[in-house]
Amino acid sequence: MGSGFFTDTTLCIGCKACEVACKQWNQLPADGYEFSGNSYDNTLELGGTTWRHVAFVEQPAPADAPPADTKWLMMSDVCKHCTHAGCMEACPTGAIIRNEFDDVFVQPDICNGCGYCVPSCPFGVIDLIVPADYDAPRGFVSDGRTNDDATQRHGGVAGKCTLCYDRQKIGLVPACAKACPTESIQFGDVDELHARAKARVEALQSRGVSSYLYGVGENNTVGDLNAFFLLTEKPEAYNLPERPVLPSTRQPAGYAAVAITAAALALAGWAVFRRHA
Amino acid sequence: MSTAQLPPQPGESDRGAAPGDGLPAHAPATYYERPLLKKPHWEGRVITYLFLGGIMGGSGMLVMIAGDRPEREADLARSARYVSFALAAACPIVLISHLGRPARFLNMLRIVKFKSVMSMGVWGLLAFSGPATAAAAGQLARDGVLPKWIASLAPRALTNVLLGFIGAFMAGYTGVLLSATAIPLWGRGKLFIPAISVCSGFAGACALNAALLALCGTDRTRHKLEHLERIASVAEFILLERFRRRAGSAGDPMFAGERGLKLRRYTQLAGILVPAVLGRLPFGGRTKTLLASALTLAGGYVLRETLIEAGKNSADDPRAASRQPE
Repeated sequence: MGSGFFTDTTLCIGCKACEVACKQWNQLPADGYEFSGNSYDNTLELGGTTWRHVAFVEQPAPADAPPADTKWLMMSDVCKHCTHAGCMEACPTGAIIRNEFDDVFVQPDICNGCGYCVPSCPFGVIDLIVPADYDAPRGFVSDGRTNDDATQRHGGVAGKCTLCYDRQKIGLVPACAKACPTESIQFGDVDELHARAKARVEALQSRGVSSYLYGVGENNTVGDLNAFFLLTEKPEAYNLPERPVLPSTRQPAGYAAVAITAAALALAGWAVFRRHA
Repeated sequence: MSTAQLPPQPGESDRGAAPGDGLPAHAPATYYERPLLKKPHWEGRVITYLFLGGIMGGSGMLVMIAGDRPEREADLARSARYVSFALAAACPIVLISHLGRPARFLNMLRIVKFKSVMSMGVWGLLAFSGPATAAAAGQLARDGVLPKWIASLAPRALTNVLLGFIGAFMAGYTGVLLSATAIPLWGRGKLFIPAISVCSGFAGACALNAALLALCGTDRTRHKLEHLERIASVAEFILLERFRRRAGSAGDPMFAGERGLKLRRYTQLAGILVPAVLGRLPFGGRTKTLLASALTLAGGYVLRETLIEAGKNSADDPRAASRQPE
């Protein structure tokens, strides 16, 4: 099994060190200084040049509960590196691959910016980077090449978390996991992380905290997520889909609809031209 | 802050346990109403490609339908061959211009990927352009523009069938391409959008070829073609209505508000019903055909534009995006 992240949201303190470390290591541009008013979250979402995003949920106590029940949730979101990745299936150039660490990686020198991966991600992660957003891109190692060429001269490429492919290649832990001061973000072999995460859910349970793993052993078409999460609220509270669906599963129905409609029209055409002949 | 749970969607009660079931039920239902999905960056050029590609595919189907009766419908087969070729030449230009740098199109050709509808479409376009070029060259030869021997290079029986089958694929695959994404509206339309694409592309091809026949063809073939166009358009109308009803609230970005009104006015009324009524009127002749064709084509463009723009709004709805359609 490959490498991945276990992001334990009960340990996150919202310091955003992961966001900063990711930007620094991958030389991604800043997101600007816009104030959102959404708690402490001014990053707002993952994007082409934002590969870690700390979500903040300030959740008031229910009316009948003591004020101490107020929840203050933080969660560092990231590309899920799905077992069955919608972006990878959609990619017409083969730019998006599963690398030797079993992670989903965009080869920037092969991506041609068609943009089909963007709406094909069930988690809304991957996005196009247009050159105006992106001053001096460097640091994506793909077979020893960098992507300077890919983004500067082209009309844009798709960007998302590489799971620090370059750091993994030389045996280093990805930048976000390395920087995380509470080990909310843990990097490692996915099987090992699963075992650790399940033990953590049980430990929390014994202390009376309900939690669950998101992206492990769920009965859905995207399969297990190499980057999975321990959550204490429903997925949609963190802007994760409750039920992600692998988009390509709709293709057979679509192609069948095309074939039937086209056959019906061809038959109609044959009848029209025959009848009047 | 809202403390409501997600409203149950139709047909979702039998889906088994969801992640997070059994937790205290006071979580916010969305994350500050922020979009959960990323929206496609496609705009004018992609919409134009969807529109032209549909007509191209429909014209290929018309070549096959008319092509095996050379003595009677020779004028339709002739115009449909020229339209197929002209659009097979234009479509790659539109596609390539949307990639920013022409050479990037070549990256599409380094792999044949059955899982990627876009890869299939690129190869379909290339596969179409071969017989389209051969058929148009043969037609030019029979029309006396090119030397006669060229007509014997590509047998009509072969190019007719190839254009018909690949054309049907080209008219419909764009619908599959849209529905095979995470966009809730498009996913809900996994049967309707491909079927509507085929109907609209085919109707557009009938309209364009009828206009050409009005300029240089026989009335007899043109009337038959207009009849065929009515069949395809009415099917498109019915499918749109059924899609509207089936999509429920996920269909709102497409069918509600101003965009829905535009779709009803330009595509369903002006693009389908008006040309259908015009075609039935016992007067008007060629001018009427030209007007009806223009209306049908404009309606087809508005349909594609509505699909793409509504998809972007659909991506903004975190509730629809949380429980994605199967």
